[in-house]
Amino acid sequence: MEPLIGMGVLALMGAAATVAGASEDLESDVGSQSNPNSQVQLAPQMMYPHRIYNKAISGEPPSNALMCAVGGTVATVLMSAYNMSPVFAIAMGALIAALVHGTYSVTAFFGRPTSQKRFKQPVYLDILWSHTPVIMGYSYITTFCILVISYLMVAVLGHPFPLPLLAFIWGIAIGAVGSSTGDVHYGAEREFQSVEFGAGLNAANSGNIVRKGESGLRNGFDNSWFCAKFGGPVTGIAFGMVVFLSGWVTTVFDPARGDAIGWLSVVAGAFLVFIMILWNRKIEVAARAAYGPYKEDEVAA
Amino acid sequence: MIDIAGILMENISYVLLITLGGMLISFSVHFVPVGGAPAAMAQATGIGTGTVQLAAGAGLTGLITAGTVMQVSDSLPLIIAAGAVGAMIMMSVTMIVGTWVYVYGVGVPPASAKVKYDPITKDRQDLYVSQGTEGHGLPTVSYVSGVIGGLLGGGGGALVYYALMSAGLDTGIAMANLVGLASVFAVGIFFVNAVIPSYNIGGTIEGFHDPKFKKWPKAVFSSLIATFMCALVAVLTIGGL
Repeated sequence: MEPLIGMGVLALMGAAATVAGASEDLESDVGSQSNPNSQVQLAPQMMYPHRIYNKAISGEPPSNALMCAVGGTVATVLMSAYNMSPVFAIAMGALIAALVHGTYSVTAFFGRPTSQKRFKQPVYLDILWSHTPVIMGYSYITTFCILVISYLMVAVLGHPFPLPLLAFIWGIAIGAVGSSTGDVHYGAEREFQSVEFGAGLNAANSGNIVRKGESGLRNGFDNSWFCAKFGGPVTGIAFGMVVFLSGWVTTVFDPARGDAIGWLSVVAGAFLVFIMILWNRKIEVAARAAYGPYKEDEVAA
Repeated sequence: MIDIAGILMENISYVLLITLGGMLISFSVHFVPVGGAPAAMAQATGIGTGTVQLAAGAGLTGLITAGTVMQVSDSLPLIIAAGAVGAMIMMSVTMIVGTWVYVYGVGVPPASAKVKYDPITKDRQDLYVSQGTEGHGLPTVSYVSGVIGGLLGGGGGALVYYALMSAGLDTGIAMANLVGLASVFAVGIFFVNAVIPSYNIGGTIEGFHDPKFKKWPKAVFSSLIATFMCALVAVLTIGGL
């Protein structure tokens, strides 16, 4: 394939991945999923009942992998058995996946707050009616973008894996990226805004999540509004970088042109990793100067 | 009638390669700095997600890169290196963006609670651990450890995929079906070996400097047995077609 076409397709995949990453993180914020949800779950037990949508269907990677694999399978069936256009097939696949995800969200929502009846946690039906369509909307965007990436890899870049499997793998990867990056903004900052900025969460404050919103009582929308300013976009950048950089090394240094070029792609990838190690170190030094130390050195004192 | 013994003897080298790949994956998971739910609240050092989740996310990204390269090359070292690089990129990107969130979004410096000095940078750690936490963020040693985890996990996954593909090449099965079958088995074997070490890790590990890291031989030995059984089933399925 022409290198320029390959780069163009890769840029499109990177853009789709960026949108997918952002929507994946915001979906997990508005519906409260993954690790930060442990605090939402804990709050009523510490006598802090709340109006936050509580659904942790599973860890984010399996939940997203399920969505994307369902969407990928539906899209493949529509394309191969019914000769439908890829755009229609992908849109239908994403729609079915969003419906499946919505079903799991509703059952998870009913399951979790009702199990906390003894702690006087109400089941707010208005939260269910208002939040579930938004959760499904975000999951539709995520699945659609992942299916676009997988379809481009199979149809244009000629990747050997079947489309549903690629969608499954990217679903696992986007869930892993989302729960590692954007969720920390939700868990460590948004849920505990009452705690002073510039330190980790003291274990003594566990469960004492902020329950008052900018206006009225806080709900999942408020959390997604806040995280859309930082956590969501950086998750998008992270997943966009994963898709773009992992494809970039083999597109620029195409192993099809010989093993020597293939080894160059390995060197290029290792070089990128090395730059990121240095970058992390630079941020670490700046952060230590900005926030710490928290204690005095006993020997020096 | 399928000649089970014949198929196994014919593919015994691939069974061993798959087993080796599984052991590499199991070993690699111990390097990945994960803090589970506490890390998502900046209460523990490492990335705020689960062991299996992140190791699988990185390793499977490596599998995609390895699949791309294996399509055009039959050089085993190159395929393994491609898998390793794919996983390293995924891990590095996730960790650098995780650092952005910890430093700029939450406002904590990376700090380890398991060692007084970072073994790589020699920076003092305990003074930078905020009150009531077990460390937070990704100090350089954890970051480098995560990259090594990606390298070994991606390489191990690629090795498993290479062996499964090679076992099926002579059977005459259509290439698309073989790739589908081999990749699904590779993903399955990856998950088996990502789960086994999580019993050692118990939710949080900071990297190779963490005392829990020393438990790795137990997990790798368990993986040897589990992957060998998986490899027998996989090779029989693919080789018997």
